[in-house]
Amino acid sequence: MKTSAGSLKKGDFLFYQGDIWQIQKADFYSPGKGSALMKTKIKNLISGKNIDYTLKTAETTETIDVESIELQYLYKDAENLHFMNERTYQQYTVPLGVVGKATDFMLEGSKYFVYIHNDKPLTVRPQMNAHLKVIETEDAVKGDTVSGAKKPAKVETGVIIQVPLFVKVGDTISINPETGEYTERVKS
Amino acid sequence: MKIKTNIQNLKNYKIQLRVEQAVHEFMKKKGYLKLDLPVMSPALIPESYLEIFETEFNYFDRKEKLYLTPSPELFMKRLLTQGIGNIYYLGKSFRNSEPNSSFHSPEFTMLEFYKVGATYLELAEQILEMMRFVSDKTPRSRSFVNKKLNNSIFYQGKKISFDKWEKFTVAEAFEKFAGIKEKELFNNKLFIKKVKEKGYKTKGFSYQDIFSQIIAQEIEPKLGINGYPAMLYDYPKEMSSLAKLSKDEKTAKRVEFYINGIEIGGCCEELNDWREQETRNKKQETKRKEYKMIDHKVDKGFIEALKYGLPDCTGAGIGFDRLCMVFANATSIDKLKLINIV
Repeated sequence: MKTSAGSLKKGDFLFYQGDIWQIQKADFYSPGKGSALMKTKIKNLISGKNIDYTLKTAETTETIDVESIELQYLYKDAENLHFMNERTYQQYTVPLGVVGKATDFMLEGSKYFVYIHNDKPLTVRPQMNAHLKVIETEDAVKGDTVSGAKKPAKVETGVIIQVPLFVKVGDTISINPETGEYTERVKS
Repeated sequence: MKIKTNIQNLKNYKIQLRVEQAVHEFMKKKGYLKLDLPVMSPALIPESYLEIFETEFNYFDRKEKLYLTPSPELFMKRLLTQGIGNIYYLGKSFRNSEPNSSFHSPEFTMLEFYKVGATYLELAEQILEMMRFVSDKTPRSRSFVNKKLNNSIFYQGKKISFDKWEKFTVAEAFEKFAGIKEKELFNNKLFIKKVKEKGYKTKGFSYQDIFSQIIAQEIEPKLGINGYPAMLYDYPKEMSSLAKLSKDEKTAKRVEFYINGIEIGGCCEELNDWREQETRNKKQETKRKEYKMIDHKVDKGFIEALKYGLPDCTGAGIGFDRLCMVFANATSIDKLKLINIV
């Protein structure tokens, strides 16, 4: 699909130098003198490598229409995340480096949307929030009332993050998977 | 587009007010006269690289096109030819076809000032002095004062001191950050050949386009990241059609400055040859027609004023929103606003 570079936005898929890339950041830039530009950061969906890519806003680019289907996340190994379509039992793999930090908050056995193009998986659609159970954390010490104080807590994917003192073992908390930060307590 | 209320930006907005007050104070101290100028004009200076906003005055049978000014230049230079002396304007300017993004907004605040008799390098020093002044007048956390970090701010975790500029000529920066030699930079053919080798698309692109692309991609991110704001100066003449040329006639007397990889503003010695300005206007007008841009009336009075004689002066333009963003330690200009149109 032909798209002018000026309309590119975060999350779009781009065909460039024979590979498919996903736009991580797209910023309009006008140098005052000379044509306006789009400054983008794009991620290669095979190697996971990020590069800076600057285009004229009037330039035509090749973007790709993708579908997203819900797949069951089976497990990860040293290189890939493995998924299965529960209806067809077809299995898919997505390189670990492509998904990045968000894998820390993906729970085996849960379902995630995966972007597919020509029956090839590209990457996992980021969740707005990951809801995970706290499996280990110290109880808050009475009298410790410094506002904004944090303590470490281990969530069910095995990752440790910083949470407010009132969070207890067994609570379900919401995490921003892009930054790995606690956002709120969902259920206690 | 939608109206968004962002009361959470109140703290940043208050910093913007402090910066604004400090700028007015500084300008007054340095003898600049504050100007109040229209933002609607019946005619403009033609610019092929920026689109404008058009509106209409209506009174019974009388209808007249008006345009929101993309810069106060046309008014300020008129006044300069009348001998008004050093002047500044801090107010809104409008540029169409510039979508909201981290450092752009179709409606933005411009700080523009002209100093009669000053060279571009002298004015750059005064801009630095202004930033020192502003940094002393804006609030900072207690830990900051304890560390006695005078004349400095913290921006995105980096200390920036306004004690001096980190200076690069454009040729030095191209060599250091992009591996393009001076003789390649000033020779169109060699330049295109070199950037092609580097993997840039060149077909159908002008020298200016490719130049801006290399600045944006390879040079800007390296400017103003080593503890001081950086100034880039002596631009190839193709990149500065309104600036006076240096003695070598290859470069123009223009400066742009950066903090943490973000362009904040610049200045140049103003061209005061009305014939050159007229030729340039004609070229820009033709280009606007060619690009099918809004067909606005060209300000002929501007050339008449220049004929009267623009004094030797340097003009500076600073993206005021971006400047405030740095002092508020914010990552985009919309984080300063209580109301955003997005």
